[in-house]
Formats: sequence, structure tokens, C-alpha cells
Amino acid sequence: MTAYYAYVDSEAQETGPLSVSAALDIAKVALESITLSIVGEISDLSDNPRYKAVYFTLADEGAALPCLMWRSSFDRLGIQLKSGMKVEVKGRFSLYSAKGRMQFDVRQLTLAGEGQLRAQVAALAAKLKSQGLMDASRKLPLPTLPQTIALVTSPRGKAVHDVLRTLRRRYPLAQVLLFGVGVEGKEAASGLIKALKAAEASEAEVVLLVRGGGSYEDLMPFNDESLAQTIAHLEKPVITGIGHEPDTSIADMVASLRASTPTAAAEAAAPDQDELAAHLAAAEASLASSIKRTLERTRHVLYTLEHSEVFSRDKYLIAEQLLDLEQTAQRLDAAIPTGLQTAATTLGEAQDRMQKTMDNLMQTEVTQCRHLETLLLHKGDVLATPYTTQLATAAARLESLSPLAVLARGYSLSYDSEGRVVRSSKEVAVGDIVRVQLASGAIKTTVTDIEDQ
Amino acid sequence: MSPEETESRTAVEELTYKEAQEELEQIVRSLESGTLELEESLTLYERGVTLLRSLKGRLEAAEQKIEVLMGELEPEND
Repeated sequence: MTAYYAYVDSEAQETGPLSVSAALDIAKVALESITLSIVGEISDLSDNPRYKAVYFTLADEGAALPCLMWRSSFDRLGIQLKSGMKVEVKGRFSLYSAKGRMQFDVRQLTLAGEGQLRAQVAALAAKLKSQGLMDASRKLPLPTLPQTIALVTSPRGKAVHDVLRTLRRRYPLAQVLLFGVGVEGKEAASGLIKALKAAEASEAEVVLLVRGGGSYEDLMPFNDESLAQTIAHLEKPVITGIGHEPDTSIADMVASLRASTPTAAAEAAAPDQDELAAHLAAAEASLASSIKRTLERTRHVLYTLEHSEVFSRDKYLIAEQLLDLEQTAQRLDAAIPTGLQTAATTLGEAQDRMQKTMDNLMQTEVTQCRHLETLLLHKGDVLATPYTTQLATAAARLESLSPLAVLARGYSLSYDSEGRVVRSSKEVAVGDIVRVQLASGAIKTTVTDIEDQ
Repeated sequence: MSPEETESRTAVEELTYKEAQEELEQIVRSLESGTLELEESLTLYERGVTLLRSLKGRLEAAEQKIEVLMGELEPEND
């Protein structure tokens, strides 16, 4: 710098005062040869897509420097710049002669302090998420009534006692295993990993990983990648309760459950003993009422049996069947006559009809017959008359010639045992049976004597 | 309880709180279903009462036990 002053001084002595342009030219050359790295806080950020550059002011407590960054360079950063952010810029001064204004021409820009940390954490979170470390399916279910709870935290400070007190109030039944390690600084992450592994090897059924509040930098050990891997692969469920900020650390993201504070983590790990007592009271009431119901039911069954017909009438056992049978028989009885009745009626009716028809037919025939009979008789009589007369005459003559008439005069016929008529006494012997036919009747005789004529 | 019955079921005091509570819930369900014979009901009821008493006792008597396996627990400063 001194060289320029010397130059100016000597120039002025030789040629006189410089023009403004010339003066600024000198300044421009001087300034634009310097390349610097500057750190400061951003304010007055102007990011208008219409302009070719992004403008902002970089300041500290005592000074402010107008900066610009060409849009092409700025877009390549991939950083969301915000006022208040602490950044580190690398570039050189530039002088806008026309207005005599100095600016810092930013070539490179990185986040400094917390901003940078946050960006780093966000990037790591994205990477681990894409590896599946934060998947819901990885998260282990929490035990409902753990007998033993592991507590990984600093053995100093408020957080550890907050947790112990909460556990004691809610669920003194659980034994607590304390793994006290540092929770801040560069060594914290490896200490936390050791503690978690020890907790995993113990009889604890769930692990609480907690720490009290602090700055973003303070909490950085919980954004450690190795710690995240340890938590994600731990064989026991991990509940985190880190800080009091709404920020979520990477440990929170890979744990089985994230609680907002150490106390909340303790509450998540254990049931409330008041709820357990209420649960037992309900079970007690239920036991009592169901056994009462069972006894009542049994008593009722016995009572019913005692008073039932089964024990008072021996026929009762088959009474039902008898009743059944009787009813069936009655129905049968009722059914059959009706059936037959109908048939009988039908038959009767048919019979009557047939009778009537027959009678009618017969009547006609009979009348006819009678008529013919009468006719026939009359005709017969008429036809027979001459014959009757003749017959009478012949009969008279026959009568006079008939042996019967002879017999009638007292003469008889004798027959021998062979039925021949006896005409001579020589035809019979004494002792022979002779049958004598008289006019009326016949007699059997035995020859006692023969008389010769 | 007859000797045979105590053998087939673990002694109540040997069960963890969780195991005892689960068995109690099962007994309550069985009795509520009303499908058991009288004798079975009475046996289960007795077991249920034993479990209940044990669980209640454990809740009332519980005192937190802390075991420090790493580091040293500093007392709370009030």
C-alpha cells in the first residue's frame, strides 16, 4: 500500500493532481489484485431472478461490506441463503468507478458455523434415510411391562434425575440400569456407542437415550453417523429424549421412538402404576361377577332338575313318546273313516244310481214280459183247445185200458226177485220172495205153499 | 389346591408382573365366557384371586432399584 502513496506523492509532484477517473483507476488496480477469504453474517439479501447477480451485505459488529455473486456461481452452490446466516466467502474487491462504489465480488461461498452444521446433518440424514435406516419396519416394538430399563445419559446434570424421578413415580417396579457417559464434545459419540452396546448386552428390555437441552453444536454427537448405525441395528428398542428444541437429531430419526424431552422418554418407557392398579381393580370385579354368575347358573340348573317331572313321575321319561303315539293314532283314526266315509258315500250313491237305472230297465222289461205272457197264455189256450179235447178223449180211452184201472178192480200183479211178472205158480218155489203190486201200494210176500190148479 | 394342580401351574411368585397379569387376563376371559364346568370355574377363580393378590402386593410394595453400570451417578443438586 505504501508503494501507491509514494507513487501518488511523486506523481503529484511531477504532473499535478489526478483526475477522478485516474484516481479511481489507481484504486481499482490496487483493490482488484487482492483475493481474500472473509467470514461474516449475511443481511440485506437480494435474490431477484431478473438480475444477473445476487446481492447481500456481509457484516460483523464493526463493519459492513456489500457483496455480489454472479447468478451462475450462486445457483451452483445449492445452498439456500438466508439473512442471519454466517458464511465464509472467497473473492476479491471490485470497484465500480462510475459510482465510486466498492463491492466484494464473491467467487466461492460456504456456510460457516451452525448453518454449515445443519446442512451437513441434513445431508447425512438424507443419506441414511435412503439406506432405509429410518424405515418404520426397522423400529422395534416397545415392551409393555418392562422389568428392567436401561438409561444411557450423562450421570451429571438434570436430565438423569428427571428420568429417574419420572420412572420412580410411574413404575417403581422396573429396575433401572444406568450407563453414565459424556454427551458433549468430540469423544461423546464413541462413549455413547459403548454405552448402548453394554445396554444391549444387559437384561434391559428397553433403552432410554437422553440428554438435556443445549445449543445445536452441543447436540452434534447425536448426529454422528456411527452412533446412528449403532442405534438402528441395536437388538433392543431405543427411545430418545434429546434436548428441548423442536429440532430432530439423527439419533431421534433412527430410534424406535422419539420423545421430545428426557421426561417424555421415561413416560413412554413405562406404564403408569395408577393405570395398572385400575386394571387390577377391573379384573377383580370381573372375577367376582363371573364366578357369581357361574354359581347362580349351577344353582338354577340344580333347582330345575330337582323340581322337574323327571324325578316325580316315572312315566315321564316315556310320557312324551306315549303322547306322541296317541296323537298320531288319533290323527290316523280321524283320517281313515273320513277317507272310507267318502268312499262309502260315493259307493252308496253309485249303487243307488245303478239300482234306479236297473229298476227302470227292469220295469220296462217286466211290463213287456207280462204283456207277452198274457198274450202267450191266451194264444196258448186258443191253440191248445182242440188238442185238449182230443187229449181228454184219448185219456178216457187210455184210462179204460190202463192196468191201473184193472188193478183198481182188485186185481194185482206179482213180481219175482228178478222183477219178472209171475203168471204161473210154476215160476216160483216155496220160500221165494214175491212182490205184489196192488192198486194202491205194494207188498213183499214169501211163498209158503204152491197150489196147483 | 391339590399337589397336582400346583405342579402344572408355575408358582405365582415366580412369574414376572407381565406374565402374572397376562395369566389373570386369560382367567377373566375364560370365566366371563361362561363355558366352563363348575369345578373348573372354581379352580380358575382361586388361581385368579392368588394372581390378583400377588400383583396388587407387588404394586404397593414396589421400590425403584437403580444399578449404576457405567460412570458415577452424581446426586441431584437442589
